[in-house]
Amino acid sequence: MHCLIFGFGYMGKIRYDVLRRHPAVRKITVVDPALDPSAEGLRGALLEPGAPVPWATVDAAFICTPNNVTADLCVEAIARCGRVFCEKPPGRNWEDFCRIAEAAARTPRHTLMFGFNHRLHPSVQSAKALLSDGKLGDVLYVKGTYGKSGGIRHRQNWRSNPVVAGGGILLDQGVHMLDLFQLFLGPLALVEAVLTDAFWGSGLEDNAFILLRSARGAPAFLHSSATLWKHTFRFEIGCRDGYLIGSGLLSKTGSYGREQLVIGKRQFEDEALALGNPREEIIHFDRDESWEKEVNEFLGAVQEGQPAAHGTLDDARLVMEVIRDVYALAERQPMVRSAT
Amino acid sequence: MRSIQTQHLFPLSAVKPLDGLLNYRAFCLAATRKALAGCTHRLERSWSSAVRLEPCGALEGLAYVRDPEHGGLFLADRSEPAPWGRLLSEVNRHRHSPAAFHAGLTQSRVDHVYAPKLEWIEDALRLQEIPQTSIMEVVTAPSDFTEFLTESRSFSEVLTVDETELATDRADGSGGPQVGAAVLLESLDRALDPAALLRGVVNRVEEGGLVFVTALVSSGFDMTVLGLRNLYLTPPDRANCFSLHGLTALLRQSGLSPLEVSTPGVLDVEIVRAHVQHDPSLPLSAFERQLVDADGETHEVFQTFLQQRGLSSFARIVTRKQR
Repeated sequence: MHCLIFGFGYMGKIRYDVLRRHPAVRKITVVDPALDPSAEGLRGALLEPGAPVPWATVDAAFICTPNNVTADLCVEAIARCGRVFCEKPPGRNWEDFCRIAEAAARTPRHTLMFGFNHRLHPSVQSAKALLSDGKLGDVLYVKGTYGKSGGIRHRQNWRSNPVVAGGGILLDQGVHMLDLFQLFLGPLALVEAVLTDAFWGSGLEDNAFILLRSARGAPAFLHSSATLWKHTFRFEIGCRDGYLIGSGLLSKTGSYGREQLVIGKRQFEDEALALGNPREEIIHFDRDESWEKEVNEFLGAVQEGQPAAHGTLDDARLVMEVIRDVYALAERQPMVRSAT
Repeated sequence: MRSIQTQHLFPLSAVKPLDGLLNYRAFCLAATRKALAGCTHRLERSWSSAVRLEPCGALEGLAYVRDPEHGGLFLADRSEPAPWGRLLSEVNRHRHSPAAFHAGLTQSRVDHVYAPKLEWIEDALRLQEIPQTSIMEVVTAPSDFTEFLTESRSFSEVLTVDETELATDRADGSGGPQVGAAVLLESLDRALDPAALLRGVVNRVEEGGLVFVTALVSSGFDMTVLGLRNLYLTPPDRANCFSLHGLTALLRQSGLSPLEVSTPGVLDVEIVRAHVQHDPSLPLSAFERQLVDADGETHEVFQTFLQQRGLSSFARIVTRKQR
């Protein structure tokens, strides 16, 4: 297979490394006009500046660019190639997403997948498996916190530029947690949202507090933050007969802590020594194969001419609808702004 | 790969009190000596590292050898399979007799030993999305765990297979039906030849099937501190005491890929403390003695650390037969 990668930033490098190890991939071409070919060690994979994109020989395209060009490239890649992997978010806004969706609708037998790799993290997969057989009972609620500290160059990053990014931390990182909420609860409707830009002052939300409700009435609450000085990834799923708490995230830096899943069973006084302190088991994970699984699944779907099984257009639509509604609500409410 | 930490706490007295153990231990040692009388076969090489085993002392006259690379401890002298099988049966009968401490702790052992193990197996099968599979219990019958497996609704069929016979099964898998999972609760600890037993198990498990193993490991805290002085290290039940590293290496060599390697033991500190109470002259380091004398909260935090870092002496491993 010949794979094309648009953008060789953080995500483009991850995809490049995974594709290099994939047995079916024979050639990778990287398209990134901002790159110095000699500095990145791409071994001739970088497309020469001004050279045409070799669509005729491309089997699959990976869109790993800043948000402002995601939709344009995605639309072109769907039309030219029909087999596209697009990093999250699926565009800067609802309009971007709709353009991608329309391009997909115009292209029969396409394979389109979005990069919601958190679904494939071991704590999430284990939680999903434990929920699926119903042993913990119906889900009563879900809570999630996902946040990072930004860092000293946060204001200079394209993610802090409203024109390029299109949204703040909710669109950048919260989108993953929203996707997990949908994975656990199905489609969600917005109940309330509070966005603030109280620290970074970039004109984008640096904190988002989102209250949602599932079709069956289960509430979900998300705190997405760019001011969590201690990097945090945590989800709680309360069920009738127990609970699951996922925390930590296997990542390159390890800054989110050791990935683990707590499994607790509801125990009242008749079963437990201390009410409210039930027996728990904690699963610790030491290997993140989410990147490999995601690429394997996408390329497998491409080879078989099938649609992707997850990270689909429908999955993307569900999260982008929530984000659209949050930003629409925020426009009607004054956002707390930074004094700086 | 994953590891599991547990908050299922219970006292040593609930499952294997040291004072109750002593009579049982004396019986086991006497039966082992008798079974090995006249035996000339001595272990030479480690099953996991293949290096030459080194003498490391004797346990009331029964020599143990040590794997210098992986750190496991093994009973040096070995009988033929048939007398070893008879020895395991004899000890098992004694364990089920009113004379053994186990009889007075039936319900407690159900709650703290067997129920959590069944839950562990069921959860692992759910996590691996293997519903309603057949399971083979590898054991010297009768086993208290059989009833739990048969009453669980998680298995389509439960087979109980004699561990000594399985170790001598033909390698072509024709020794019986294929199963989706196998469970070896401390079976490798008492196997005459653990590598042969694993070959027998692997031959009977379908490709992609799971093998569940529990074991006492020499790399755990109480085993490291007490060594051969650990009264729970008694043959034939503990003829083999692999290190966690050695055990996982042996499983890999047998064609099994570890999915979970945990040491969710809760009794390491309490076992050391019980030994000190039993024999105050035990040679402990200053740190070890300080730890043993510390309060319950310190013990709990330290035990949690042992669990999280794979340093407890109770190991629990889930493996998958490679495709």
